[in-house]
Amino acid sequence: MGLKTSTLPFNERIAAAAQDQFAHASIAKAQDTQYDKREKARAELGHWQDWRKLGQSIRQHVLQYLPDYLEEFSDNVEKRGGHVFFAQTTEEANHFILDVIKQQNGHHVVKSKSMVTAELDLDKKLQALPDVSVLETDLAEFILQEDDWDEPSHIVFPAIHKDRNQVHTIFQKLGYTGDNDPKHMARFARQYLRERFLEADIGITGCNFAIADSGIINLDTNEGNADLADSIPATQIVVMGMERLVPSMKEAEIMDNLLARSAVGQKLTTYVTFEGQQSVGESDGPANFYVVILDNQRSQALGTEFQEILQCIRCGACLNVCPVYRQIGGHGYGSLYPGPVGAVLSPILGGYEQFGELPFASSLCAACTETCPVLIPLHNLLIKHREVETDRLKMMHGFTDLQMKMVGKGTASPFMFNTILRFKHLGLAPWTHQRPMSVTNFFAYGGAMITNGPGMVSGWTDVRDLPAPPKHQDDFRVWFKQHKQQRGDTK
Amino acid sequence: MKVSIFTTCMMDLISPQVGKDMVEVLERLGCTVDVPEKQICCGQPTFNSGYVEASWPVMHNQIDALAAIDCDYIVCSAGSCTAIMKEYPTLLADDPTDPNGQYMAQAKILAAKMYEFSQFIWRVLGIADCGAELTTVATYHRSCHMTRLLGERETPFWLLENVKGLEVRQLAGIQYCCGFGGTFSVKESAISELMVTAKVSHAEATGAAVLISCDPGCLMNIGGRFNRLGKPIKIMHLAEVLNQNVDERRIRKVSEVPTPAPAPFP
Amino acid sequence: MTIQNREPFLDRLAQRLGQPRHQLSEHPYQQLNDLPQQTLSTKTPAELLTIARKNSEALPVTFHEVSLAALPQLLTDYVAYQGGGPLLLPTTEQFVNYQLTAWQTAIAAKQQVNYWRPDADRATNLKAAEIANISISFADFLLAESGTITVSSHPGQGRALHFLPTHYLSIVPRSRIVARSTQAIAWYQQEQAADRLTSSAIHFITGPSNSGDIEMQLVTGVHGPLDVTYVVVAD
Repeated sequence: MGLKTSTLPFNERIAAAAQDQFAHASIAKAQDTQYDKREKARAELGHWQDWRKLGQSIRQHVLQYLPDYLEEFSDNVEKRGGHVFFAQTTEEANHFILDVIKQQNGHHVVKSKSMVTAELDLDKKLQALPDVSVLETDLAEFILQEDDWDEPSHIVFPAIHKDRNQVHTIFQKLGYTGDNDPKHMARFARQYLRERFLEADIGITGCNFAIADSGIINLDTNEGNADLADSIPATQIVVMGMERLVPSMKEAEIMDNLLARSAVGQKLTTYVTFEGQQSVGESDGPANFYVVILDNQRSQALGTEFQEILQCIRCGACLNVCPVYRQIGGHGYGSLYPGPVGAVLSPILGGYEQFGELPFASSLCAACTETCPVLIPLHNLLIKHREVETDRLKMMHGFTDLQMKMVGKGTASPFMFNTILRFKHLGLAPWTHQRPMSVTNFFAYGGAMITNGPGMVSGWTDVRDLPAPPKHQDDFRVWFKQHKQQRGDTK
Repeated sequence: MKVSIFTTCMMDLISPQVGKDMVEVLERLGCTVDVPEKQICCGQPTFNSGYVEASWPVMHNQIDALAAIDCDYIVCSAGSCTAIMKEYPTLLADDPTDPNGQYMAQAKILAAKMYEFSQFIWRVLGIADCGAELTTVATYHRSCHMTRLLGERETPFWLLENVKGLEVRQLAGIQYCCGFGGTFSVKESAISELMVTAKVSHAEATGAAVLISCDPGCLMNIGGRFNRLGKPIKIMHLAEVLNQNVDERRIRKVSEVPTPAPAPFP
Repeated sequence: MTIQNREPFLDRLAQRLGQPRHQLSEHPYQQLNDLPQQTLSTKTPAELLTIARKNSEALPVTFHEVSLAALPQLLTDYVAYQGGGPLLLPTTEQFVNYQLTAWQTAIAAKQQVNYWRPDADRATNLKAAEIANISISFADFLLAESGTITVSSHPGQGRALHFLPTHYLSIVPRSRIVARSTQAIAWYQQEQAADRLTSSAIHFITGPSNSGDIEMQLVTGVHGPLDVTYVVVAD
């Protein structure tokens, strides 16, 4: 489906996510597992804060000189005998890729995990070709493909929302007769995928980092599927976002270390590969090496307050710490890029009309900012989006907008605020009721509760009770004046 | 030592008791306390909702109000509000309505004086035991802004360790937000509900009778959900705890107690 | 046309960034700190060996240290333990360097042995890799910090040699144990700059292939070898 993964409105997606008990439990378990692994891996490395700064400095430098690095990289791919296609839009990218497959007379496409190809909705396009088969070879993406192309829900663990029984059912349709042990099912997938790898003539891979000074790419995987996809077929098509450059292998190595520890809590991923166009005398690897460099609105962030989001290395750590992601999962966001990074990136790539709700789907707890290995101030960027939508694009309307503006006025004027303090108790009286209290010392104001408040307050009272505000005579400031008098202050 | 109380709109609107307890604790520890009159709010409700233009006057009022009274320190009952006031100098860099930078200059002075209640007691006053006694089992909810934006992970735990009779049990999932998030709780109430419900479950699982925090907003949120579900709990701000059954003879300085362990949780 | 649409694409980016292109030569990247170089830099070779073993075994990898003299027997035992051939071996001078030429002859007498041949085509070499029960490679480095061996492809040692066989063994000299990936990368960069390395693929391999994609339960042997053995040879 490309960037947008759901046609349901936001509130319906949230409701659906709230109902999905399994996804809920499995995401919580995954977050907790990754929490321990990630923090341990970072602690072992030591000086984590300085490593983050190092990673940030590399990524910021590359973005600052992105045109130069892209030029250098493409020159070097060409020198090695490869091809580079710069695609401003998904249509251009897809058109080029399909053309290459046709030119190379490709029939069997194997893909390793690539978020950018999902952005292109490339699988659908490939399926539409006559005489071309396409297979996702990352275990999770293979599972999703065989489940009628279910949407991914995480950028590192795409099938995180499925349990072993669901996978079992999917594999049974492929002829699997074993039990639901993940190890047995993984072996079945190995056998099944191996046969198709061996007949593949086109390999499509993503790219963790493109090495500017040598025209090769860097891939990080644990399964080894990317390595088969770049070894066996005679043609490799690399699809990458335009920002994924590093100056040289030296900086790639630093990023690989940050990525593995942040994404999966390992020192390095099992396979860290630097590869490109086959060299003279070699018999495997791509004889035909193509790189597609995609903009697809990324450049909208360049030179703006959102530029830092392009530092992202897709480790998924911000998803793994996010309390909102924990509750609504990847599908709740309705974007290929969920979680905090997705809430920042999706409106840039897909516009505010489609993804305008996502920046508000955050409590701004800053867990994302705290964990990001390249120091992207994610929660601040969410506020920036809110500012753009509210102040610049004037997308907020109606009663809520009016109330927020009144909050602004009321909290800026001591006179108005004083008036509010005087009348808050009485003003909310129509919505205030005596009701049983299970909570004691609920700001010490007896049993008076607001349970179905007016205006914006209803958002609060839909979910929880609100203690009625104190009478003016009980306010802190009134008490303090008396206290000062008792204390003997002259004023 | 002259201390101004940064009241917060929460304290004015909902939780006056927290202010009273703060004042009593601080005076007991030797501070001369005052409350700047014209202060209202740090500006987060509008700023974090994207109403940035509307937030500049709120911040300006806050700066004017707090700067109006001479003081050595400004102490706040909420980690979140403390954190944003420490961020004022960064935020005001984008303020088009402060062309001469006069608010920026004041904001820097105020930010340097600004402390959250628990960190002020431990790190500035150097007091480890306020002489309080509360015989119960409690759990502590850590607010996200106090932990991550203010960077204070330790002082509430250290102060609670020295409350006589108090057993503090670790809250599972302590790193996860309770779902308050200011206007988030209102605007995205469906998501907020899931988050606060999870927090209620974790708090219940500790078996604690009391839930303590340093942020009244979180307490109002978690307490409100407890009450909606009809589940029992007592909620207390740390200032209330430190003002319970105080015996001044028990007051101890940081130098008089064993050095506590670093941040007990992530 | 080997590069398409580049100039308008890059001009647009430069415009967004608000600065002209071709600034980089005057502003090369300066590494912010030397953490990559400093990490584990004070360890002695003996300590690095200990760290390498510990981290490799944790992966899990079967880890052996042998003398040059004991290497042939170890390999023979390994082949027997893994159930014999077909074997896939690289075509390389390393067999001479490690004094394994006699072993090559001996093992070929008992097992089916195929070589990754510089003169063979893609299909032939891939077939040899596909049917191989065991492959043996010669590694350039062993990284202590992560328990990683690094290998570079050449006409006699293709990429798939490391990935298609069921069991995988890699031989590395003790003198090539380095602290971490930093040192290995520095060497590869130096060799490339001097045109001594023309490899199109450098692989850092850290234990057996694995996946946590089903319920985050880690399973080994998804696409690549099911198990991995490192042999450190005293030199």
